[in-house]
Amino acid sequence: MSGFIVYLLTITCIWGIQAFSLNLQYGVTGLVNLGQIAFFMIGGYVSVILVMLAGWPVGWGMAAGAAAAALYGMLLALPTASLQQDYWAISTLAAAEIVRLIFLNQTLGSPYVGASFGVTNIPQPLQNVIGPSVYPLFYLGLSAFCLVICWGVSHWLLHSPFGRVLKAVREGDEVPLALGKNVRGMRIRAMGVGGALGGLAGALFAHYNAFISPNYFLPIETFMVWAMVIVGGAGNFAGVLAGTLLIEVISASSRFVKDVIPVDPRVLGPARMIVISVLVILVLIYVPEGLLRERRRRYVGKR
Amino acid sequence: MPLVQILFDSLIRASELALIAVGLTMVYSVLRFPNFAHVEYATVGAYFAYLLSVTTGLNFIVAAVVAVAATAAFGLGTDRLVFKHLRQRSDIILMIASFALGIAIRQFVLLFWGPSPQFFSVGWGNPLHIAGAHITPVQVGIIVAAALCMVSFHALLNRTKLGVSMRASADNTQLSEACGIPTGRVITVIWLLGSGFAGLGGILLALDTQLQPDMGVSMIIPVFGAAILGGIGDPYGAMLGALLFGFAENIGLNINWSPLLHALGLQAGDYAFIPAGYKEAIPFVLLILVLLLRPQGIMGRRGS
Repeated sequence: MSGFIVYLLTITCIWGIQAFSLNLQYGVTGLVNLGQIAFFMIGGYVSVILVMLAGWPVGWGMAAGAAAAALYGMLLALPTASLQQDYWAISTLAAAEIVRLIFLNQTLGSPYVGASFGVTNIPQPLQNVIGPSVYPLFYLGLSAFCLVICWGVSHWLLHSPFGRVLKAVREGDEVPLALGKNVRGMRIRAMGVGGALGGLAGALFAHYNAFISPNYFLPIETFMVWAMVIVGGAGNFAGVLAGTLLIEVISASSRFVKDVIPVDPRVLGPARMIVISVLVILVLIYVPEGLLRERRRRYVGKR
Repeated sequence: MPLVQILFDSLIRASELALIAVGLTMVYSVLRFPNFAHVEYATVGAYFAYLLSVTTGLNFIVAAVVAVAATAAFGLGTDRLVFKHLRQRSDIILMIASFALGIAIRQFVLLFWGPSPQFFSVGWGNPLHIAGAHITPVQVGIIVAAALCMVSFHALLNRTKLGVSMRASADNTQLSEACGIPTGRVITVIWLLGSGFAGLGGILLALDTQLQPDMGVSMIIPVFGAAILGGIGDPYGAMLGALLFGFAENIGLNINWSPLLHALGLQAGDYAFIPAGYKEAIPFVLLILVLLLRPQGIMGRRGS
């Protein structure tokens, strides 16, 4: 049981970083990224490729994974940043699927590595130094540390002039444009920061899970991140983290449900997704701010 | 592959895409959000028909007609249950809700029928051979059915008062409302027609290939691509977009890119085809190109 709780918390930390990434894009800047999982996938794959094929240390690999995802985000935003939000959403979805198709068709190094076979035996950081009995705890600590850093960076960004312009972009192009702000450039930078966070989460996941395959990065995973942000409360980082925990608990609950009620395990997978998607719809209709609403800063002189 | 075969395959694909894209573009323009759940109506239609024809043993044609009607009602039901409550909110919220709804529908199908593919076994005759190409009677039926639907939709839009109000609402919802067009009723009809068409598209696709819970979502990109390429709110544009996407998918794999690569000064053999594994990528790339180059559609109706 304690092993399970450590697993749940680790996964929550990793996906929490991923949800922070989407929160920076959607909750703060108003960018509807339906290809969020591409950051996660690029971060994971780039780190794994550098560590396993180029012999980089895991820490450097993870950093490079985050950088690669940030670069992808900015390159994707470069031509698309002036599209309307609905078109932007569709183009991010399409771009993420193209990235997945590339990893699905490309072998890495040898014939049975990568492509649809996935990558197995991914090295884990410090796995020879730390004993296997405490390793899960170590990884939880590492993920929690990364989560706290990401939270701190996001908090600092939000309270800087840059963050305030991002929020202005969310409320419509007119005001920031009238103030002489480069809206397109702001979107590109938001995608860069979001990409770095998403990529870091993906690298953490790849080295934690020790196995990745393109099947882990289907569009439905993007929806899971959206569920975390919507249910938790877009714009509020504590809320988003609570939303991540809730969604992860629902996702993991199937292993307990089958001990309590005798149901076909094949029913549990779809049932779980139905619960999450219906929950998202209900939250959108009845509690649009989510669990914790965004704290709006009041300024002097505002009545 | 013979040219005629590519022509047939493209036409079949275009027929299926057009049936789904026409409804999407109408809802998109009147309610101003891209309904990501729209492609799931195709899946629902196919499985309704499966339930009626295979499970309860009804005659296939009767089952298909009932299933299309049921899908139309189902589509309207999703509007009443979900989207109607969100009309006053931003299009972003509607878009996310439709994304969630699409997943809910797909998972329900998965829950009831499981992930493995199912088949309609209507057994309608042997393939015909025309100019070195194969085409099954079912595939001829698909093209004919889609063409009939599009022609009758055209007649509805141009010959009836309802059709004129639909076009007016698609063009400018507020203005048409101000002119006394009952937008609520128009919206109802658009949902019924749009999801009915999508249901028929799903049944035809399943007849040609198989039923699978993700048969709808696998078409989301070409369907959206067809609607956007044709210009949102323009059903004729959507048909044209579907034709272009149908042809692009089938021709893309059969083009020998070698001369182009040589012309660019790249190293290439005499044959350079797009690997079959990237077939799915063709509509994705095409969609992104459409969004970047002609976001207002080929007819250029919608400004940004």
